[in-house]
Amino acid sequence: MPIINFEFAIQEIPAVLKGVPITLAIAVVAMVFGLIFGLLIALCRIYRVPILNRLFIIYISFIRGTPLLVQLYVFFYGVPVLLDKMNQSFGTAYNADHISPLLYAFIAFTINVSAYQAEIMRASLNAVQIGQMEAAHSVGMTTFQALKRIVLPQAFLVALPNLGNTFIGLIKATSLAFAVKVVEVMALAKIIANDGYHFLEMYLVAALIYWLICWLLEVLFTFVEEKMRNKEIKQKKMNTTISKDLPLRV
Amino acid sequence: MILLKHIHKKFKNNHVLKGIDLEVSKGDVVTIIGPSGSGKTTLLRCVNYLEKPDEGIISINDLTIQTKKPVKKDILQLRRRTAMVFQHYNLFENKTVLENVTEGLIIAQKKSKKMAREIGVDILTKVGLADKINAYPQQLSGGQKQRVGIARALALNPDVLLFDEPTSALDPEMVGEVLEIIREIASGGVTMMIVTHEIDFACEVSNRVVFMDDGQIIEQGPPDDILIHPKQERTRKFLKRIMKEPDFTI
Ligand SMILES: Nc1ncnc2c1ncn2[C@@H]1O[C@H](COP(=O)(O)OP(=O)(O)OP(=O)(O)O)[C@@H](O)[C@H]1O
Ligand SMILES: [Mg+2]
Repeated sequence: MPIINFEFAIQEIPAVLKGVPITLAIAVVAMVFGLIFGLLIALCRIYRVPILNRLFIIYISFIRGTPLLVQLYVFFYGVPVLLDKMNQSFGTAYNADHISPLLYAFIAFTINVSAYQAEIMRASLNAVQIGQMEAAHSVGMTTFQALKRIVLPQAFLVALPNLGNTFIGLIKATSLAFAVKVVEVMALAKIIANDGYHFLEMYLVAALIYWLICWLLEVLFTFVEEKMRNKEIKQKKMNTTISKDLPLRV
Repeated sequence: MILLKHIHKKFKNNHVLKGIDLEVSKGDVVTIIGPSGSGKTTLLRCVNYLEKPDEGIISINDLTIQTKKPVKKDILQLRRRTAMVFQHYNLFENKTVLENVTEGLIIAQKKSKKMAREIGVDILTKVGLADKINAYPQQLSGGQKQRVGIARALALNPDVLLFDEPTSALDPEMVGEVLEIIREIASGGVTMMIVTHEIDFACEVSNRVVFMDDGQIIEQGPPDDILIHPKQERTRKFLKRIMKEPDFTI
């Protein structure tokens, strides 16, 4: 019997691959909603909205200062307790058992990612020159219009590499979701491994799958970045002839 | 008509504007001169509320703002009746030259895209940039950028056009092309307030010169009176110092 049973590993790859949609779903949902909340948090912080600003400083510090696994557990075991208390106090009958583990994962990962996105978006918004907002105001835009049309598009461009890294980190972090009973790639690998004590084989399969996903994403991000850089270079080339035309009548 | 009454502005303990009273009639071209730090930029920025005055009244025609309790809607109105040309251009980096000009028309003034485009192309032709309408700001020379800045402001057809040292960030060989355009606009009867260090230019284009020092208007009057026969000692000193500097560009 060899150290690694490759045959078994290869044979079980399709079974583990079945977890990929769940893995991606958690990552995408957390990324999208995390970005929306992160942006709102960043705006509250930049505009120093009373109370919320202070609240979010603590929120970000707490989320970034505690392990994701701990957050998942606190959430997973905390919500049923809260529901129980609520049912007692208000005579309601919500049953925590009916909440799907996936929903816990969606919410917990979104909360976690939003704290990181908030800091990325805050830095990116701050990187956009204040003059851009002032110019938008000066042509009569409201602050909301200025953010939407002028400032945010530029901030996103700045944020893009960081957002890419966050997403790749997130893909890997979803492997913790098995801890709250979500059946994603890691959970499937574990379940199959338990059956025949093929732990090493199945974890290698899981590793390969994560690697493949992350590699594909990196190729995608590099492509997007390259494309944007090329556009910039092309623009600079076009600019070699600066017209010195004298202005016509105004 | 623009009326500034008793405008005060403090940055923390720094009392930058100490009760400015100024009247600008329709068609006036007013240049504001004064030593560095005297509050010229701050005053101009107060006129379109990029800086919030602490005290005083700003009124443009029938719109009056009590700066102690300003109404949000009025501030937006004030911004829509004024337009600013910035020292460092502040063009929208994520928009083409044409879009820079049409943004305010479409978003703030609610003009149709077609009409905004017509106005934009027309004005950009007048400032000699017809061949650059699809370029991005980073592809332009400083002089071209400032011409776009002027076109953007002019397109809004504001009650008053504000210029803050429009040529001081330019290479010397590009100053001429920008001054030429401002000269053209001035002769076209547009109301303007210009902060500049180009004394000769001020003398030529404006019908009133305002000398500011230490947050106050020291004296004002026709260019000849102020620049050639100033009454106040401070004005004399300032002009003497500025004239002595050889090879002076704004
Ligand atoms: N955003 C700000 N925060 C704090 N202080 C400011 C701010 N803007 C201007 N000041 C201060 O206000 C004073 C007047 O500045 P302002 O820019 O209006 O002068 P200026 O007359 O335009 O000078 P310059 O000729 O150098 O442009 C200066 O002491 C400056 O340091
Ligand atoms: Mg200034």
